[in-house]
Amino acid sequence: MTSMERVLSALKGTEADRRAFTMTLSLYGAKLTGCPLPEYYTSPERYLQGQIAVSEQCKPDILFAPFALSLEAQAFGSTITFLEKSPPNVRKLLIRNPGDIGLLKAPDVEKDDGLQYLLSSAKLLAGHFKQAVPICGVLTSPMDLPAIIMGVENWLEILLFDRKKALSVIDCMSGYFVSIANKMFESGVSFIAMAMVFTNPQILLQKTLAEFIVPALSEIFAKVKGPIVFHHGSVPIAGYLPLYQGLPNVAGFVLDHRDSFADARNRIGENRLLLGNLDGPTLGKYRTVTAVEKARNILETTKADRSCIFATSGGDVSWDTPLETITGIHDLLGSYGGNNAG
Amino acid sequence: MNAKEFQKSIYEAILQGEREQANVLLESYALSRSYRSAMSEVMEPVLEEIGIAWDKEDISLAQGYIAGKVAEDCLLKVNTEDKKGDVAQTAKGPIIIGNIEDDFHSLGRKLISIFLQSSGWRVIDIGNDVPAVEFVDKAVEADARVIGVSAMMYTTADNIKKVRLELDRRYLSGKIKLAVGGAVFKLRPELAKEVGGDGTVANGFLAPDLFTNLWAQSVCEVPL
Repeated sequence: MTSMERVLSALKGTEADRRAFTMTLSLYGAKLTGCPLPEYYTSPERYLQGQIAVSEQCKPDILFAPFALSLEAQAFGSTITFLEKSPPNVRKLLIRNPGDIGLLKAPDVEKDDGLQYLLSSAKLLAGHFKQAVPICGVLTSPMDLPAIIMGVENWLEILLFDRKKALSVIDCMSGYFVSIANKMFESGVSFIAMAMVFTNPQILLQKTLAEFIVPALSEIFAKVKGPIVFHHGSVPIAGYLPLYQGLPNVAGFVLDHRDSFADARNRIGENRLLLGNLDGPTLGKYRTVTAVEKARNILETTKADRSCIFATSGGDVSWDTPLETITGIHDLLGSYGGNNAG
Repeated sequence: MNAKEFQKSIYEAILQGEREQANVLLESYALSRSYRSAMSEVMEPVLEEIGIAWDKEDISLAQGYIAGKVAEDCLLKVNTEDKKGDVAQTAKGPIIIGNIEDDFHSLGRKLISIFLQSSGWRVIDIGNDVPAVEFVDKAVEADARVIGVSAMMYTTADNIKKVRLELDRRYLSGKIKLAVGGAVFKLRPELAKEVGGDGTVANGFLAPDLFTNLWAQSVCEVPL
């Protein structure tokens, strides 16, 4: 089976030759190719080279377009900084207090260099891997983008205490989001993954979510011309999956490493795609044998579940993760899925 | 209603996201007493309860934030009341807090500032993106015995090591204690030692106890 066929099998809940597997190795491609990060996150060609190395050496069934959310904040006017072993980060927020909200203006996707880098990288990846390996585009949720443009505190303040302003911010975000998401699909990505933090009852009040966040997301997602994977965004989500069940175009959910697959499956029902849940950002802390054992436990837990994909949770797999940890996890997969499924 | 009943109602109002309702209740309590009493007899116990619930992940970030805003609203009224009554303010401290160089995530720091002030600390908040040298300079200038440094991410938390180095370089590590905190320390508590911190807590609601302990340690090690 090709990786695409394997992933589609998981989506449909049908038998595959083995468990589909992916790790968030967007950053890791720079390590494998020795590419300086300021170049990696500005040159689509260098990014493609990095992901070719990831594909050859790590063999994931899903590859990622650049996971560089700060580039979106930059397009809105925030300043970013390049780091030594991590994706670029927001250095200075565009908006420092809620009174400056008038500064918020959606960028022109066609004219912004950072956004064009994201789209061009996605296009190069899709062109190179054709339909054999699905490419996952990575975008910031329209509910989370304000937090990296104006800071968590300001966004929380507006969401909690100024509904009118909140709706105007969401309106600005939704127009931008639909535009870039659809351009990303035109570039050839198979689906888009989004970390959803300001959609989680551990972050916001249930009434805020029910009254206007989830309805707004529903409207926004309906305009997106492709499948969306709902990512936990570093907050457990298993307990809240029914809240998101009715959102249009959501193909699956990435669970947090603290989530239980069994709990998630009980709540979301059969045949809904679940991905996870080995923590990627802390993977480098463990010896290879320990990391592989953690992966084995997850694979054992999900052995009988055909509608799931083994994946890392959280952000990028950390720079310091040894390659043998990743290949060691990949080597486990032959024992899971296909005739080995429960 | 007695103080306990006020506490319960205000706690409920916070959980429901009703900041105004919580403020009305506090005002009602303060009417026959004072806002200072409302703070110490009602709001402080509520914050303790919120801290316990936060630790168990029973409340959301929004609910914790609203608790902080209600405490801040009450503090402002305490200050106004003190000024009107010409009450001498006896604060503990001072202490210095800020976000380390390259870190711009101020939410946690601001909440901690509110909780510390609610507990009677005089807090000097020096803002975001503060270089290590500035933390130490300000502490020396204000004669502060504790510096609280916040960082949200692993990459910025690493810069806290520079504060420890600066304290060591000036032979101040006995007198000035270093409290560290932020989201990344909740995920990786062992990081506190790695960056040279003298202590951390799982959540901001526990910050007053940490600062009290560190201040006491400082006084034991360097009495004058």
